[in-house]
Amino acid sequence: MQLRYDDDFLEAAVFLCASGRRSGVPPLQITRFHRKREQLYSILDPDERNAAFFKLHLDWFREWGLEQPLTDVLNEFPLVRERLAVLAVRKSTGKNDEGAELYVNEAGQRTGLLALKTERLTNHATLRDFLRHEFMHLHDMLDPVFGYSPALDLPGLNAAQIRLARERYRLLWDITIDGRLAAAGHVPLQPREQHAAAFARGYSFWPEARQAATFASLWQNPTPRQTDILALIADPRGLRDAHRPAPGAPCPLCDFPTFHWADTRTLALEIRQRIAAEFPAWLPDQGLCNRCLETYQAASPSEPAPAVAGG
Amino acid sequence: MSNVFNWQLGREMDYPYEAAFPDQQFAFIFNINRCIGCQTCTMACKSTWTFAKGQEYMWWNNVETKPYGGYPHHWDVKTLDLLEQANPGGQNWGGKPEDVKAPYGKFNGKTIFEAAKTFLGPEGANRALGYLPTDEEWSAPNRYEDHPVGNEKGVKGQYFKGGELLPEHKTWFFYLARICNHCSYPACLAACPRNAIYKRPEDGIVLIDQERCRGYRKCMEACPYKKTLYRGTTRTSEKCIACYPRVEGRDQAGGSLPMQTRCMAACIGHIRLQGLIELNKDGTWKEARNNPLYYLIHVAKVALPLYPQFGTEPNGYYIPPRWVSRPYLRQMFGPGVDDAIEKYSAPDRELLAVLQLFGKDQRICHRYEIKEGPKVFETEVRGKKFALYNDTIIGYAKDGTKIIETTVEEPLHVRDAKHANSI
Repeated sequence: MQLRYDDDFLEAAVFLCASGRRSGVPPLQITRFHRKREQLYSILDPDERNAAFFKLHLDWFREWGLEQPLTDVLNEFPLVRERLAVLAVRKSTGKNDEGAELYVNEAGQRTGLLALKTERLTNHATLRDFLRHEFMHLHDMLDPVFGYSPALDLPGLNAAQIRLARERYRLLWDITIDGRLAAAGHVPLQPREQHAAAFARGYSFWPEARQAATFASLWQNPTPRQTDILALIADPRGLRDAHRPAPGAPCPLCDFPTFHWADTRTLALEIRQRIAAEFPAWLPDQGLCNRCLETYQAASPSEPAPAVAGG
Repeated sequence: MSNVFNWQLGREMDYPYEAAFPDQQFAFIFNINRCIGCQTCTMACKSTWTFAKGQEYMWWNNVETKPYGGYPHHWDVKTLDLLEQANPGGQNWGGKPEDVKAPYGKFNGKTIFEAAKTFLGPEGANRALGYLPTDEEWSAPNRYEDHPVGNEKGVKGQYFKGGELLPEHKTWFFYLARICNHCSYPACLAACPRNAIYKRPEDGIVLIDQERCRGYRKCMEACPYKKTLYRGTTRTSEKCIACYPRVEGRDQAGGSLPMQTRCMAACIGHIRLQGLIELNKDGTWKEARNNPLYYLIHVAKVALPLYPQFGTEPNGYYIPPRWVSRPYLRQMFGPGVDDAIEKYSAPDRELLAVLQLFGKDQRICHRYEIKEGPKVFETEVRGKKFALYNDTIIGYAKDGTKIIETTVEEPLHVRDAKHANSI
């Protein structure tokens, strides 16, 4: 596997040392670094100049021990080393932009891309924790046992539900990763309690006992699979086949999940007809959300202003 | 270190180089009370100077929302914090205001140059106290836009009580437009290890020699206003150049007369006024009673420097916002804030006329004249008598060319009834 760096990442990383933001760098080395760097400004050809800067920055990146934690942690993941053709590291401009991604080209060649905030290089201990977490992501994506597929197989869900399912997927995958890291004696990126609290928030509609049992099974699972995670995210409320107004079920008209169902028993005939014109298959027993009722009431000149409760 | 005189602090201070002053100094005033944060100035600058590859995150002009916003994030809070650490409890003002040599009294604390002596980096003491912002801090120039301080907890269905009352809103924010201050004692210039930064003797504009710069980023670390920026594609630092071709009168639109910068000229709120100031040998301003900048800064004293306590003697001045917490403003603009707001809130006849010069013409106004007009009305503003006269103010370029003539009252045109709804 080839380890590659983005120019910007290398430059920002060595400047952490040269500007004193990473402690323990001898001043004489900083002076030497700047002197060598200054010489490169005299190269007129822009490509040659960029190549020379890249080489210089890479040399100092290694000299100042910035590559060591990357290669050390990478060595803990032999599958990643074996299955990736390239692992590229690029600079991330913020926390939300950080993380590892897998790209596969038409020839089937796999490339891992790790986005990293250069400030992480100032603390090797927390850097290693972060790298382990991200390399575990890559490991799962490459491991046939996990069975990773970038397209989540979630039939029957609308766009809003798929988005929610993806959030849950991220939550559960992170739990399994940090659970495995903790079991291996490493410091997880987030402690068990923090994950448990996030899980409880995400699955608050379950009884506490079910929450605890499912969380424990995720945290302690040494070989999670994507299919297991999908089973937990697709329809955790069991609403897919509800066909009736249930809290959190999607409104049959707008498809958005709702907790505020309108009372269809008192629905004016005019509104029923308007709905039927647009949704011929709709039956009053299927219900509709307060927001849809408001829309149809507003469009009906003879209907008074809606008295809608909450939502 | 040399001893130089900083009139904004009312005292001598340490600076790494001997004092050297230009023939004229580029200076500007922003009236915060009128800024609506539309970012037209930002885009005028961006589309003129920083549209190229490698300049994507580079904004020489930016407008940030105070108190929370900042580009880079929290630039002022971080520097103020470093100064407080270097001189705990000692960053205060004293003395009485005096003429042009000490208009705000005397600053008793430490400037960034004085505090740097005890602020050790890996290579020893720095020339100016500062820090290098992270990439993340530069990434979002409009962070926290339109956020008030919110010191009163909200109650559903109920407005904030007293929030509409001047001078101090319970909840407040304001827009702070910023460019390089082209300081008289630039920290960027002091910190550059390559002597790549210089102050032009003809107009005091601070520039980075791109041939000499070797991308050390010491200027970025030292500038307390964080107005020098690194460009990865050229591996050099860049900064606001005060649109110097325009200031030199080389923009054809000005007919060979010196013109204000692009950001000043583009301002739709007419909050900006830029000029050139003549200096005495000690760096204080030569008396020019009818130069609009001299009048607003040294006579009316409604425009104040931004964070004068940093010690760089910035040449950017601000008319402070009336509705903002006074302790906050005193920290930002020094002890002249209360008088400035008092004066601006009920302006006298001359001040009201001079305020009309903002944004009226793109050319630089060196001198003004006022022709008295009739009284329009009189009233009371915050307990003070206020009379409005429809005076006419006339502005002249340096060579005497008349460039502006405008009245205090906006002219009213009554359209003929037959064209009532047409343009």
